[in-house]
Amino acid sequence: MNGLIQLLNDVLNNFGMPKDFIIMASFYFIAALTCLFAFMVVTSRDIFHCAVFLAATLFGVACVYLFLNAEFLAVVQVLIYVGAIVTLFIFAIMLTTKIHDKAIRQVNRQVLVGGAVALAFLYSLIAIINQDPWKAGAGADKGYLGLDELGRSLMSTYALPFEVISLILLAALVGAIVIGRTYKE
Amino acid sequence: MIPQSHFLILGAVLFTIGIYGALTRRTAIGILMSIELILNAANINLIAFNRFLGSPDGLGQIFALFVIAIAAASAVVGLVLVIAIYRNSKTIFMDKINLMKW
Repeated sequence: MNGLIQLLNDVLNNFGMPKDFIIMASFYFIAALTCLFAFMVVTSRDIFHCAVFLAATLFGVACVYLFLNAEFLAVVQVLIYVGAIVTLFIFAIMLTTKIHDKAIRQVNRQVLVGGAVALAFLYSLIAIINQDPWKAGAGADKGYLGLDELGRSLMSTYALPFEVISLILLAALVGAIVIGRTYKE
Repeated sequence: MIPQSHFLILGAVLFTIGIYGALTRRTAIGILMSIELILNAANINLIAFNRFLGSPDGLGQIFALFVIAIAAASAVVGLVLVIAIYRNSKTIFMDKINLMKW
């Protein structure tokens, strides 16, 4: 697979394309697709379609993690988000609404105001991002982090927050059971 | 090499889409989905900074891991709350739920 990508890169270089053309092109393709799916999540009329588009968006974000050398995070993203949270959303949709009910209005009366606020916010964020040249830091070459290093620092330096997270998950589990159960009269 | 600012802009776009969804959705489930989008945008930023600024022990990736765990917990509690509200008032539209307004 790597040899194939190398070969394609060489061929494209002969035609005057920049280096790493395939990686850059696939990143921008995946980023555009992710944004499109995310937009479908917030605009689709059928709430069940929203859940499916959410799964696609989260999968695209996992692909973006791969471009940032975070393989473990990409796998965790697919396992937890696409595997568990989206399933949970689909269950909640099935338990509450009629699934194929497109007649119901899905947005409130703040569409124009909300869109204006979001666009202004995006404009200011991009202006702020473009102000800084974003020089690479000292440890940028060490940006790759193996699974063993990640696990070691999770178990040594960040052991306390790791344990606190498990406590929070337990509390969420118990709280969900207590809130969700039905009490007999 | 993809510049860092492009990752940050991708995060900003996802964040903005999430904000728009949280502001305009009528159903509680739609709002929760938008919040998941916002958390993902924050995660992209964390991992991008970890990649380009570098940290000795991968603090950015570990923080992103914690964010994913918190997002899972919040999604569970939020969806159970939605189901409990639906059981009581037979609606999940946020503009119909005004029990705690006077």
